[in-house]
Amino acid sequence: MTEAVIELENVSLTLGEGASSVHVLKNIHLTVRQGEIAGIVGPSGSGKSTLLMVLAGLERVDDGRVSIAGVTLNDRSEDEIAAFRGRNIGIVFQSFHLIPNMTALENVAVPLELAGHPDPFKVAEQELAAVGLSERLTHYPGELSGGEQQRVAIARALAPSPPILIADEPTGNLDQATGRQITDLLFSKAAERGMTLVLVTHDPALAARCSRRIAIRSGRIEAEPMLTATA
Amino acid sequence: MTRPARQLALAFRFALREMRGGLSGFAIFLACIALGVAAIGGVNSVARSIGDGVAAQGQPLLGGDLRFRLNQREAEAPELAFLRATGEVSHSASMRSMARLSDGSDQALVEVKAVDDPYPLYGTLVTEPALDRDALLSERAGSFGAAAPELLFERLGLKVGDRIMLGNASFELRAELMSEPDAVSEGFGFAPRLLVSLEGLRASGLVVAGSLVEHSYKLRLAPGTGDARLERVEAEARAAFPEAGWSIRTRSNAAPALSANIERFSQFLTLVGLTSLVVGGVGVANAVRAYLDGKRGVIASFKSLGASGSFVFTVYLVQTMLIAAIGIAIGLVLAVLMPFAASGALQAIIPVPAEAGIYPAALALAATFGILVTLAFAVLPLGRARDVPATALFRELGFEGRGRPRLVYIATAAGIALALGALAILTAHDRRIAVTFVGATLLSFLVLRLVAFLVQWLARKAPRLNSTALRLAVGNIHRPGALTPSVVLALGLGLTLLVTLALIDGNLRRQISDSLPEKAPNFFFVDIQGADVDAFSTLVTRESPQGTLVKVPMLRGRVIALNGTDVRDLDIPPEGAWVLRGDRGLTYEAEQPRNASLSGGSWWPKDYAGEPLVSFSAQEGEELGLAVGDTVTVNVLGRNVTARIANFRQVQWETLGINFVMVFSPNTFAGAPHSWLATLSDGAATVSDDARILNAVTRAFPAVTTVRVKDALDIVNQLVGELGTAIRAAAAVALISSVLVLAGALAAGNRARIHDAVVLKTLGATRRTLISAFALEYMLLGLATAVFALAAGGVAAWYVVTRIMTLPSQFSAEVALATTVLALVLTVGIGLIGTWRVLGHKAAPVLRNL
Repeated sequence: MTEAVIELENVSLTLGEGASSVHVLKNIHLTVRQGEIAGIVGPSGSGKSTLLMVLAGLERVDDGRVSIAGVTLNDRSEDEIAAFRGRNIGIVFQSFHLIPNMTALENVAVPLELAGHPDPFKVAEQELAAVGLSERLTHYPGELSGGEQQRVAIARALAPSPPILIADEPTGNLDQATGRQITDLLFSKAAERGMTLVLVTHDPALAARCSRRIAIRSGRIEAEPMLTATA
Repeated sequence: MTRPARQLALAFRFALREMRGGLSGFAIFLACIALGVAAIGGVNSVARSIGDGVAAQGQPLLGGDLRFRLNQREAEAPELAFLRATGEVSHSASMRSMARLSDGSDQALVEVKAVDDPYPLYGTLVTEPALDRDALLSERAGSFGAAAPELLFERLGLKVGDRIMLGNASFELRAELMSEPDAVSEGFGFAPRLLVSLEGLRASGLVVAGSLVEHSYKLRLAPGTGDARLERVEAEARAAFPEAGWSIRTRSNAAPALSANIERFSQFLTLVGLTSLVVGGVGVANAVRAYLDGKRGVIASFKSLGASGSFVFTVYLVQTMLIAAIGIAIGLVLAVLMPFAASGALQAIIPVPAEAGIYPAALALAATFGILVTLAFAVLPLGRARDVPATALFRELGFEGRGRPRLVYIATAAGIALALGALAILTAHDRRIAVTFVGATLLSFLVLRLVAFLVQWLARKAPRLNSTALRLAVGNIHRPGALTPSVVLALGLGLTLLVTLALIDGNLRRQISDSLPEKAPNFFFVDIQGADVDAFSTLVTRESPQGTLVKVPMLRGRVIALNGTDVRDLDIPPEGAWVLRGDRGLTYEAEQPRNASLSGGSWWPKDYAGEPLVSFSAQEGEELGLAVGDTVTVNVLGRNVTARIANFRQVQWETLGINFVMVFSPNTFAGAPHSWLATLSDGAATVSDDARILNAVTRAFPAVTTVRVKDALDIVNQLVGELGTAIRAAAAVALISSVLVLAGALAAGNRARIHDAVVLKTLGATRRTLISAFALEYMLLGLATAVFALAAGGVAAWYVVTRIMTLPSQFSAEVALATTVLALVLTVGIGLIGTWRVLGHKAAPVLRNL
């Protein structure tokens, strides 16, 4: 059995204050191992995205322990977690969130530059070639199609070679055909590099392709059916 | 490269990439910074260019390398010998007198200047036609020559070749006086110049013992003589003739009063420029906030990719400062051009050749103010951006910041604001005014914040209104993200400054044009000889039977020492310094004047014969730090006289009656030759009565100089008017900043308004309802701001007028009305221009993005 790269122990999180507070995550126990492809599914407001934010170190938990890539995040400062995230976690968003005034190449180079990589643009160029965008290096996000923008986002997430990839509804803003291409790309890259991929999706077809399906409802993880990866 | 240096380099790189989107949204930011920097840099550059002009032209402006000035007496033989041994000497004498037409039918006050052959030692006397000295001034066919400016020709209806009388001598006006090289150092003249020869003046019989005449001895030293030598000559002169009582001035300080006034005025304009910059700071804060609001997604993305909060802060700080640098550069270019543009215009007002050039110190000061204002106003929005949560990327919820920025940013902003205040105070000529200004600005900020809060609170607490438009308007005032704080702050500061300046200006004008003449006498008569006093009184009483004639003995003297310490060694506050500068009128009285009330000490007995005593003006005495029993040494007619302060008197200078800082006991000047000064107050006298009295006095007593107070006040009024124009122009710069910031704030609000308008239209609101609602909102905001500006500006003006200028203050209804109208026009006008576009928006595209 491969080693655990994500370990949540008895994690609880309440958002908001006073009367408007919501107990979003309730006593979550979750272990994801290296190379696993886990799909988090559940109805709107069940806590899927919040769970993803906890995994990315973007949301601090009230109770429990969060350990990612062997590092316990609970007692780290915001800036320490940011630096850790830059090296260990790649994130792909539903709305791509590329930086509009930077070219595709510069967008991909950002995490490498932030991590002090010696040759960020060379790596960025290779990553864009790997997602089939060698011809689009100097294009700005506004000049790219939705699918192309999401490819840039994937290249950006992959560039620092993080052990963990997180994706929040990665096909949510794309048409069906493009969505399928993006899923293929994401799954194949994760498999090629032995990365752990955790994604949130409403799409049953996408969820069905994951090696694990983690169903969440009202802030609790429901029993997991055993699945086989189809990627 | 170290890690911080690498991070900074990276932040620069990211900042430059981010700025590829252009500077749209920063127009107001750029304009505000450029305007403020241009105002401060330009004003200081112009002031320095005049200062340099004065310094470079020291010799012609002074008329020599050194000038020795004596009051009411010529230099004695040993003094003259000393001067002649030092360098080439030119002697001139100046006094006020009356020039009369030969037939006695008309007369005019003139500033007589009598010169000798070597005049001018430096520079050129320009006349039209150009004549040599002999042809211009010498005696020919019973008349001496004279030159006068066009004004005197106009006033008396004369032309070149006509004759006038001065005292008992006849003068032929042989040329028009175009320029007099040493005019600036001669001081401010109330009347046109009449240039004559010393022989001519002597022949006029005007100069007798006690006449108010000033003798100047200007020296030309060998070419290349250094300033150190001049100082040595000055020291030698003081040592050799300790009781000469001469005022000595060197070419390096040719026009100290002009220099001090230019410095004072430039300080005032710098503070107004700083107000404009601070008002612009609100625009900077708004622009940075709006820009960062649009960048929240990018900021969150940076953070999700591993950027630290401080890195994000640095990236946007670099961008802000780069934009500020562009604004500062534009401002500096304008500031550099200003002395070149102003030198021509200034020539007409100040007869000093301004040395147009680039003044790095003035520009550096302006740039530093620009940088500090940008930082002070940008740090808080930048600090808030640092805390944009990356989690927002997941929720697609927008990127609302989490409350107030971290303490470190609040402390940094406060620290920079303090540095800004400290710089304004440290670079000011008069620290007291600068401290008041900085305090008032800070207070205005806090109070305006409070006013905005109060307006919003009132709007929240307002009862449910029947009118839909009014309900919408009131709702808009207090809803989250309302325009209220930025509009109140932006417009409030500019309007407050405008109200303050308008009220000060108004009070000053009223003081001069309205209240003064009611109490002021009609005439001042100077140089009445002791032997003529009775005949003069008889004549005036006959010409003006109902008038009140007041006569006092008059001498001129200079304060040399206070309590035995040379006044040059004393540290005197600026407000009291005028008493010690130059010559003061002195008088003596046996009895306490009826209109004088004592605030300390007691008056001397009627036949007092002990040590000389003096009654000192209470306010000036306090400013000089004097107490009853202290001693004052004055130099009168080349003799030092020390008197002990017996009492303090309350003096009301604004009455323009006969007032003296120092009134001595009669025995002080026993035997000293002196003339008399008289005033005539006749409230019932018409303009023609005044003309008749003036003509009668001049005919009978040609040596008596008559100043009609109304004419003098007209000149002062004109000066105040010119100053007022300059002040209003400066205030306009601050108001432009205000309007720019206001327009920016309203434009930023339009984004939210498009959303509201579209939703409301979808729900059935008509254009009319929406326009009424928006107009009412702008009107309420404008009204609230105007009320604050009137209150704050009223208090500030009252403080300046009553405490600094010590004049009675009055609130002006016109200013109140004009301010309110201006505020409403600005808010409703600019607001509705933007809103018109909002109403034109199609609903569908907006609704799709809701």
